Amino acid sequence: MVKPILKLITVAKEVGVVTRKYPYESPLLTEEFRGKIEIDASICWGCGACVKACPSNALTIRESMDVMELVYFAGRCIFCGRCADVCPTGAIRVTKEFELATDELEDLEQVVIHRKVKCPICGKHFVPQPLEKYVCEKCAKGEIPTYMMVCPECRRKVGVKKMIRCKGG
Amino acid sequence: MNQHKDLLPQRLRPLESLIQEWRWIDKGRAVMLDVKRDKLVEVARILYKEIGAFFKTCAGVDERPLWGGFAVYHIFGIDEEGLDVVIYVKIPEKDHPWVPSIVREVPAADWCELEFRDMLGIDPRGRLTQRLVLPDDWPEDVKPLRKDVPYGYRPPRAEESRPVEAGMYPSGVPVGPYHPALHEPEYFELYVEGEEVVDVRYRGFHVHRGIEKLAESPRFDYNKVTFLAERICGICGFVHSCAYVMAVERAGKVEVPERAEYIRALLLEVERLHSHLLWLGVAAHLLGYDAGFMHAWRVREKTMILAEYLTGSRKTYGMNLVGGVRKDITPEKVPKILRVLEEVAEGTKKVADMIVSVPQVRKRLEGTGVLRRGDAAALSVVGPVARASGLNRDIRKDYPYLAYKDVSFMVPVYSEGDNLSRTLVRVEEVFESVEIIKQLLDRMPPGDILNEEWDIEPGKYAVTSVEAPRGEDTHFLITGVGRPYRWRVRAPTYANIPALRPMLRGQELADAPITIASIDPCFSCTDRMLVIDVRTGKRSVLVTRPKVRVVSLG
Repeated sequence: MVKPILKLITVAKEVGVVTRKYPYESPLLTEEFRGKIEIDASICWGCGACVKACPSNALTIRESMDVMELVYFAGRCIFCGRCADVCPTGAIRVTKEFELATDELEDLEQVVIHRKVKCPICGKHFVPQPLEKYVCEKCAKGEIPTYMMVCPECRRKVGVKKMIRCKGG
Repeated sequence: MNQHKDLLPQRLRPLESLIQEWRWIDKGRAVMLDVKRDKLVEVARILYKEIGAFFKTCAGVDERPLWGGFAVYHIFGIDEEGLDVVIYVKIPEKDHPWVPSIVREVPAADWCELEFRDMLGIDPRGRLTQRLVLPDDWPEDVKPLRKDVPYGYRPPRAEESRPVEAGMYPSGVPVGPYHPALHEPEYFELYVEGEEVVDVRYRGFHVHRGIEKLAESPRFDYNKVTFLAERICGICGFVHSCAYVMAVERAGKVEVPERAEYIRALLLEVERLHSHLLWLGVAAHLLGYDAGFMHAWRVREKTMILAEYLTGSRKTYGMNLVGGVRKDITPEKVPKILRVLEEVAEGTKKVADMIVSVPQVRKRLEGTGVLRRGDAAALSVVGPVARASGLNRDIRKDYPYLAYKDVSFMVPVYSEGDNLSRTLVRVEEVFESVEIIKQLLDRMPPGDILNEEWDIEPGKYAVTSVEAPRGEDTHFLITGVGRPYRWRVRAPTYANIPALRPMLRGQELADAPITIASIDPCFSCTDRMLVIDVRTGKRSVLVTRPKVRVVSLG
């Protein structure tokens, strides 16, 4: 019978050193690794599909008067990549970045700012501009481009007025 | 199942006169029996003692929004038939709901009865009761799982403390509040006479995270809960996420592509590989054989990298969605998987052989922490703990799910019931898992991996059991609108901890750490603190900011 210590020595000799000297050497990542996400602000519409799909609330929407912000906070992110799955424009990309330690909380935040469209009737700001543009393009061949730029509330009012006019006239 | 659709299954015939109504649920995998409150104990007794069903768990549900009362579901399983039996008891009272306790007939129901008492205020009558999962400073009148309590509720800070009694024996040795090797919250008090352990008291549920309540909250939907379920456990997370999605799919009659079922089964086995190798390392470490620990973890690292290669993450794979999986296993990946499997099988063989052959390690494993077959059966233990005590129970064989019906594998069973048998069961399961993965890769059917076209009807039930590395994991689900109405999780360690008492009694104190670790515990659970005044030795449960010096928290 081989003595246990000899068994250990044989195994140890066979495998040699396996510890990698990270961070001086590259980490043990495969090509499939999911790290933090990156949002390409130039293609994002601000539709909010990613916010709806995010299981951990890492993606949220902050709204103010005339601006809609899509906020990604990596501190809450579970790196599941569901946002990238559901993004209709492919603006969200899953990177391999995982070294996120920082002493500044803001470093973990990425914000995409969208200006909102102003309603020509009441002056209220509503949907983000790129989303509006996309919808306009989709409907370009269709009708009623007039009410396109109007906020839902005014559209309803105008619609009702028009209906009454039609009935009356 | 070849039973007639309209007839009560043969095994359940003795119950016919005691039940009000019965129906098939969960695509014909389970039977639901409507039982009146006064018949419950009798039904449970016949089911457990005469029919030989295995108790899985029980769940209290606040059904006041549905029909005006509460309900309790007791879930049993008949292993030989692969049939789950759900006893449904309606409780009409709105204010002080109660149900007769079945704990005298079914000892395994002890904790879950206390749990629905804590969480829903349903009183199990006819037994001793105490708080189990809620912290001591939680207000008496707030029952968190009732539907009228908002999910974000936080109780006000309590201002008083009350003394608690010391144990029966004066010489208690505290183990905890963190396990010396597993770094998880738990608290054991071992009572010793000389070197011998004479009794043990467990105080758990330190980190109750309210996951079941959170899943019912408007923040979640069916798909998001999958990721929440995965975070129940840091080691066997994929098991929970699989059990959850399978429950939703079966309750909601969602079609799942066959390829997705193969991929899920494959990943479950990859998870088992890493979990068993992790355990082997921890066991060696606990016995003071750190070379064994490092080599076991070296082999395990390969499975972690494999998991990342297949899913995108080393742990918390994030692969499941209701209706399938998110990432396919492409043909290019197969050679690499096979290569890693070879390395793991060969590495495990050498390392396990090395660890078990060290005389000091072997002596401390052999004959310690014995769990006899009779005790194991009475306590309804699960997984490798049951298999090391001569019970041939494996959910993969008894209730085939996913692709397990299409693969052949052995279930290692040992009859000694000591720490060594539990070690050997796990080591052998590593090799079985390697074989299962090879078979799955070989037989994997082509096709889609995700079905996103589904619509789930509310008010449907499902019971799913998945064989986790540490035993049977049971999920019970009632569908709701857009999200689960009630989701009950019973993790395997929940069933195995009570077995530690017979294991530890009569043992030497030095063998206690490895014996506790031998059930591969996974303590997920509400922090409770015990303050001991060093000067007076008085103990009290912390319900306010401590004024005394805190020396031991547990």
